[in-house]
Amino acid sequence: MKALTSFAAKLGAKLSLSTGLIVEKAGRYFLLGKNLKGLVKGDFYYAGAYLGKVKNGTFFPSFTLLAMLSLGRANKIVIDKKAAWLFICGRDVFTRGILSVSGTRRKGDYALIMSEFGECLGFGRIMCSLDAKADAATVAVKNISDVGDFLRREL
Amino acid sequence: MSGKEFFVNRYRQLGWELENAEPRQAIRINLSNAKDKPLIERLRALGVQLERVSFLETGYWVSCSKVSVGATAEYLLGLYSIQEAAAQIPATLFTTLKHKTVLDACAAPGGKTVQLADLMENTGAVVALDVKKQRLTALANHLERCHISNTVVYNLDAKQASRLNLKFHRILLDAPCSGNFAADKAWFKRRTLQDVQRNAQVQRELLAETAKCLSDEGELVYSTCSLEPEENELNMDWAVKHSNLQIEEINCYGQEGLTEVFGKRLHASVARCRRIWPGETQGFFVCKLRKQVNKK
Repeated sequence: MKALTSFAAKLGAKLSLSTGLIVEKAGRYFLLGKNLKGLVKGDFYYAGAYLGKVKNGTFFPSFTLLAMLSLGRANKIVIDKKAAWLFICGRDVFTRGILSVSGTRRKGDYALIMSEFGECLGFGRIMCSLDAKADAATVAVKNISDVGDFLRREL
Repeated sequence: MSGKEFFVNRYRQLGWELENAEPRQAIRINLSNAKDKPLIERLRALGVQLERVSFLETGYWVSCSKVSVGATAEYLLGLYSIQEAAAQIPATLFTTLKHKTVLDACAAPGGKTVQLADLMENTGAVVALDVKKQRLTALANHLERCHISNTVVYNLDAKQASRLNLKFHRILLDAPCSGNFAADKAWFKRRTLQDVQRNAQVQRELLAETAKCLSDEGELVYSTCSLEPEENELNMDWAVKHSNLQIEEINCYGQEGLTEVFGKRLHASVARCRRIWPGETQGFFVCKLRKQVNKK
């Protein structure tokens, strides 16, 4: 649970989940709905909403968790269509692709990357202060994780 | 007993002449994640032309596309799934799904599991089983991509489903089957009648076991993508004669089930099943059964 709340805090978000509804299986965390709780036995493979996994001490969030965090207050960077396509192809976000920023603008902080339709595409780390007037071709956000991962997983 | 001529002759005896089938690509909109009109507009802007499938509520043919529909942001965000049109039918046949406890007995790779969860609007619970552990990764990815939250997955053979000690209001048994030539170009070379008979036996075992887990008056939808009557009408005939399952009327795409197969007369209610010969869709068979109380 600490891994989850610490991760949310990195994104300027607050995660308040009922610990009684979170189950862990082999380092993977799942959030169960009340209807599901009685049906989940020890040998399950997947259950409820997948939140992410801890591997070698590092937490890797699921895209469901990122989408959940994006519904509330969090660091968010909205990018344009072209930047969104490049981002889900695993590329970083250039300054010119940013439409708006909410939350932190500080170098080194983390932010959710949002499409212009309000969908969470992944998250990344801010590489230069977003306050400063930077060159359009400057890498503004380093891609850490994006939904294109669903395709890459199957390769 | 194998080869193209052998099977084509069987189809002829069942009243169907072989024709070149080119199943069209189809998608299904996940209404829990997207509204149909705005999504269709977004896809049109990407160069994806969609055409409503007349017999489906949320299914669309991909008429033409400048991009791969399996690699758009909209797909990766779970706004739609790629799902063959006939394969979209079974989950729609249940009378009600919201707040029910549902078993998806042979779930991987998860297209129908996600469809069930979507129809349930993530209420109730889906228990999804698959016997092959390596297929569960695809199922889990599918669930995560579409933000499904009401499903629990077990690596369990549905032939042991009663080990869960659960009763289900609804059961989807999309049984492992011999497939059909429209979905597999090498089908006629690979399949024999013995394969078909072996699969039919497994399907009966699955039917018998899953029926044990069905609550009284509960509904079981059985489907295969096989054209062979042993896996379809003959299994349904066996089910009504050897269990307390009764075939229900359904109103969906397809022809009536066959009630006479290679000279054998079947229970009249088998006509309520639907058989889909290949054409715009792949070959398919679907039947809805209800568990009767105080019978056998």
